[in-house]
Amino acid sequence: MNPAPEEFDALRKLLALKRHEPPPPGYFNHFSDKIIARIEAQGLCTRNSWWHGLFPEWDAKPVLACAYGLVIMGLLAIGVGVSQSLDTEEAAAPDLARPWFAQAPASDAVLPVSVPVAQASLSGQTNPASSVNPVISSGAPSFLFDVNRLKGEIERINLP
Amino acid sequence: MNANVLDKAPATPCSNATATDAPEDQKLVKRAQGGHLEAYDELIRRYQERIYATIYHMTANHEDANDLAQETFIKAYQALKSFKGDSSFFTWVYRIAVNKTINFLKQRKHKTHMSLNDLDFNAEHDPELVALVSDKTPRRDVNLIELQEKLNGAMQKLSETHRLVVTLHDVQGMSHEEISKIMGCNTGTVRSRLFYARQQLQAYLSDYLK
Repeated sequence: MNPAPEEFDALRKLLALKRHEPPPPGYFNHFSDKIIARIEAQGLCTRNSWWHGLFPEWDAKPVLACAYGLVIMGLLAIGVGVSQSLDTEEAAAPDLARPWFAQAPASDAVLPVSVPVAQASLSGQTNPASSVNPVISSGAPSFLFDVNRLKGEIERINLP
Repeated sequence: MNANVLDKAPATPCSNATATDAPEDQKLVKRAQGGHLEAYDELIRRYQERIYATIYHMTANHEDANDLAQETFIKAYQALKSFKGDSSFFTWVYRIAVNKTINFLKQRKHKTHMSLNDLDFNAEHDPELVALVSDKTPRRDVNLIELQEKLNGAMQKLSETHRLVVTLHDVQGMSHEEISKIMGCNTGTVRSRLFYARQQLQAYLSDYLK
């Protein structure tokens, strides 16, 4: 429906009168202030945290936020795995390129060889070592005073 | 026409302002969504006059227009997080204002009380308006204030949707496309409503029109 413009020409001129009905003077000077004050009074304003500024699309797409989280968790797991495997490799083969003072002290790889001896030699102890009972006993190993066992040891040494 | 008259020129139709302000509006909306009230304050300042004017022309009551305009901006702030930018902020906030006003008018149906703003200085010097009250007008005894009351009375006789179309198109100078976006209908409907509303107004105001 498209009437001729002149059909309502006088009416449109009359309607233009409504453009001359402004609000009282100064009405808009504090209009926005009143609205902001009402927003604050009603507690509607909540400032977002800093990551909302970095990733504003997270609010709109929770799936995207989950995907970001999964990727970060995955990268973290891979990082931990790689660091653990590097540690075990270093322990198995001490770094020869490092100077002797920079090398780790007794490594786990050497210790297992001596463990049975230590365990065998300390097997006679009544109080096994533990985190609550550390090995600080001042007494000598019991076999030192076992004459028969001592003889056997001497014979074994002097076999030839 | 002196300088004073030019300074107080009536509000120009707002159809072109929307397209140029849109990119700046988007930035302000993003910041306002992040809780920056100063950005929202700027958005209010941009559209307060147009929103107020639309509501005022719909209600013909300054106090009601004041309350509804404030509520419109508060409601818009509450809903700002859900604003995705599918339409311009201007269209979106206008839609809120229009819906609020129409709901208000439906509730107020039986107690229509006009509280009109005074005509500004320009009205008496507008050549087209002077012509309306000149001796060419059938009702020679009418003055501008009387004409204002008659016009607003006739507007109030229209249905809310017809009044809205006339207000947005003939008073605020919006295009059919913009009105269709605000009202959520097609441009054909806007045109037909406008035609019907003008016919009605012409009939109500026949004494004051040539």
